[in-house]
Amino acid sequence: MENNKEFRHYLIGFVLATLLTVIPFTLVATVGGKIAFFALILSAILQLIVHLRYFLHLSFKGQQREDLQLVLFTGLILLIMIGGSVWVLGDLYNRM
Amino acid sequence: MSFSIRKSLHPGLNLGEDHGDDRLEAETSVFGFWVFMMSDLVTFGMFFAVFATTMPLACCPGPKELFDLGSVAWQTAFLLASSLTSGMAILTLKQEHASRSASTKKLVFWLLVTVLLGCGFLYREISDFIAMAAAGGPPTRSGYLSALWSLVGLHGLHVTGGLIWCLVIVAGIVVRGVDHRWKLTLLRWAVFWHFLDVVWIAIFSFVFLGGLL
Repeated sequence: MENNKEFRHYLIGFVLATLLTVIPFTLVATVGGKIAFFALILSAILQLIVHLRYFLHLSFKGQQREDLQLVLFTGLILLIMIGGSVWVLGDLYNRM
Repeated sequence: MSFSIRKSLHPGLNLGEDHGDDRLEAETSVFGFWVFMMSDLVTFGMFFAVFATTMPLACCPGPKELFDLGSVAWQTAFLLASSLTSGMAILTLKQEHASRSASTKKLVFWLLVTVLLGCGFLYREISDFIAMAAAGGPPTRSGYLSALWSLVGLHGLHVTGGLIWCLVIVAGIVVRGVDHRWKLTLLRWAVFWHFLDVVWIAIFSFVFLGGLL
């Protein structure tokens, strides 16, 4: 059934997102250090993709529509602006 | 036209064939809203950038004195659950509201559950802000704290706006039924609500968990 498939789609997204939330919280609360740091970054990126895929229904294959391109372009703008700010001010901070 | 063969037309759950013209009109209006959401994302990005530049100065009081990991976990749970229930509301809209005569009970139920969960989130967030101010961390204390309060506060304001928007939609649905206009409004609101959860992932990972590492 199409209806059940869509419901399951949301449920899968929810379970994945929950897992990707529990893992970093647990690691930061218990282990800490480098492992937690990398797990944190990885889970955040994965959970971002899970939300876009399962809740916002963005498709990652083909060029069906422009919304994925828009996300990627916004990502580029953010990378330049955030990366640039952090780079310049981090450099200033280190020289102070 | 190519419309009919394309599986999905816009971000968020699409209404599907049963909804006729509503579905096609949703393409332009929801896509336009998605463009706005992306510009909002840039705004959030700038608040993140300001926050990141103040992080090396995060001390006295810093994250370890001010953050309550348990409360952040609760807020995350509330928001994630509300994302699921808002998804259930849109699923109900798609599956049961192709004709105007359908009962709105189930749709209103899911929307109200979403509002309740959103209120739970806001309650914990505001309690945290009050506790933080009491522990010596008001926004005027340092550049780091100004950036922290602005970033998390901006997200909190968005959530508040989303909740009010949802209540207006519920009122509209109850009074006028799920007509063409409210359908499109609901689709846009759902995109907005999911987007807020996406921003929250960045906030809890980067600001709270990253701060406590």
